[in-house]
Amino acid sequence: MRKLLIVFLAICLSSVSSAWAMLSMELTQGVFGAVPIAIVPFAIQGQTPPQDVAAIISNDLQNSGRFKVWTKNQLTQFPASVSEVSFDYFKTVGVDNAVIGKIEQVDGYYTVKVELLDVAKGKNHAALPEIVLFEQKFNANPAELRALAHHISDQIYQTITGVRGVFSTRLAYVVVRQAARGAPHYFLEVSDQDGYNPRPLLNSSDPIMSPAWSPNGKQIAYVSFENKKSAIYIEEVASGQRNRVSGFPGINGAPAWSPDGKKLAVVLSKSGSPNIYILDLASHHLTQLTNDYYINTEPTWSPLNNSIAFTSNRSGSPQIYQINLQTRAVTRLTYDGKYNARASFTADGNHLIMLNQDGGLYNVGFLDLDAGVFRILTHFNADSESPSIAPNGTMALFGTLYQGKSVLGMVSVDGHIQIRLPALDGEVQDPAWSPFLS
Amino acid sequence: MKFKALFQSLVVVGSIAALSACSAPGNGSSGQNSPNGMSSGQGGAQASGVGDDARFSDGARHNALLAKRTYYFNYDSADIQDEYKPAIFANADFLIAHPHASIILEGHTDPRGSREYNVALGERRANAVAALMKSKGVNASQIRVVSYGAERLAVSGRSEHDFQLDRRVVVVFAQ
Repeated sequence: MRKLLIVFLAICLSSVSSAWAMLSMELTQGVFGAVPIAIVPFAIQGQTPPQDVAAIISNDLQNSGRFKVWTKNQLTQFPASVSEVSFDYFKTVGVDNAVIGKIEQVDGYYTVKVELLDVAKGKNHAALPEIVLFEQKFNANPAELRALAHHISDQIYQTITGVRGVFSTRLAYVVVRQAARGAPHYFLEVSDQDGYNPRPLLNSSDPIMSPAWSPNGKQIAYVSFENKKSAIYIEEVASGQRNRVSGFPGINGAPAWSPDGKKLAVVLSKSGSPNIYILDLASHHLTQLTNDYYINTEPTWSPLNNSIAFTSNRSGSPQIYQINLQTRAVTRLTYDGKYNARASFTADGNHLIMLNQDGGLYNVGFLDLDAGVFRILTHFNADSESPSIAPNGTMALFGTLYQGKSVLGMVSVDGHIQIRLPALDGEVQDPAWSPFLS
Repeated sequence: MKFKALFQSLVVVGSIAALSACSAPGNGSSGQNSPNGMSSGQGGAQASGVGDDARFSDGARHNALLAKRTYYFNYDSADIQDEYKPAIFANADFLIAHPHASIILEGHTDPRGSREYNVALGERRANAVAALMKSKGVNASQIRVVSYGAERLAVSGRSEHDFQLDRRVVVVFAQ
């Protein structure tokens, strides 16, 4: 049995050092009218780089659901500069845009030159200035190539859609792995947005839950049940250094950062029932926000005004309420469905995503606060949990079930794009999408 | 500014004191008892008789009750079902007879719904069992409550029967 444990640990450790994906991405439904784009494999001068930059860009754009990508296997011409481009060829292929580039090895690093072309505007071989939507040159060491590819994807996405891309962001999530003898082991992991580079921040034989990124993306607050007690910790993502910031008797839960990163809204039950408090991280001063015998939990800060939305069962079943931090006035935000919980605001503050249930499955719901219009985003035949919004407000990340396992999914806020992120091993749950990291 | 901060901290301390003085967290759910340790509930009075009976006249039955340390709950409910009260009282009697023994009451829910809301629900269940034990005379210092919500499921399945097995409070004696 000990041998098995060692094997298990060895598998875990090997996963730490390698760069493969813990999660893979499968686009299960894209938008009608996705933008056709060619990603031409980049010309390589010198040693072949350890990462296929054009392939990473292709995957990013294809998996975003907003592009239909033609690449290596679908193309027959591979120009590396504008002068080599036959616009007629790309018109025949049927794309409006093409990405071309060169990678040159210089000493220990690579020079990457990339151009985004509006090939629909080109005629024959005439290279007009308006054809080049952007032209950029980067230097990167081998370890930075993957991040550079995501950065280029962000630029392409923003140039064509007008919305900032999220390919350089990260995900935090909890993985539960069943050890050989059946005792579950819990891992808090952070990966790139496409599931690559998974790294553990914490591993524990006790549950871990509710990861929350600080607004600058450098820290994650989470709940850990080590020593059979709940406590809230803040961990530095880069160094793994952590501090316990809340360890009162009873519940220490649902940490939520203030927009300025100086405070944490938390849930404590030290008064006898779960209430929402604000913890000042510098002074450790606690301010109690709600004060009743109902369940008050899952605070989330509005980016717009001085208020916090939270889940409460004060009307019988859980619904989302908003409390003004100045006046302490409470208003109810959700009326659609029997059960609304775990809300979070979009970056513009005008929309809310939440977990919604109306007698059937638990779904991710999306509420336009100005118009009062509510819609369900996940029309799956499985329960969803823990919705988290992308920093550009276009997609929701959530936990769901697929083939009997807990997996992550993404859905666009218009409901059209659906992405599944199956895990290599273990049950993956309780995800949190990072803010923009640069 | 400083005065304001001091004032805020006084307000917080004051409100915490006010809340701890009022120990019953309930809005009418069962297992809520008066602060003097006497059971006020009808179910509690009935069940305490069973406990005494077991202690003095039927050791084997008492042991069986004492060994019963998982109590199941209905959907979205923290009400203790009558069938579990004899076992809860048997464990309470043990704690009264052994003042140095202590327990952790673990509250659990089924996997559906929101994780942190489930932690709150699980705590309500564990608190209900704790309140019933305290009403019997168990010292509050012998009981610690922890709610795992849906983070430690009893079974991995997702049938109604599986969910029923997940919704539970477990008594764990401290080593």
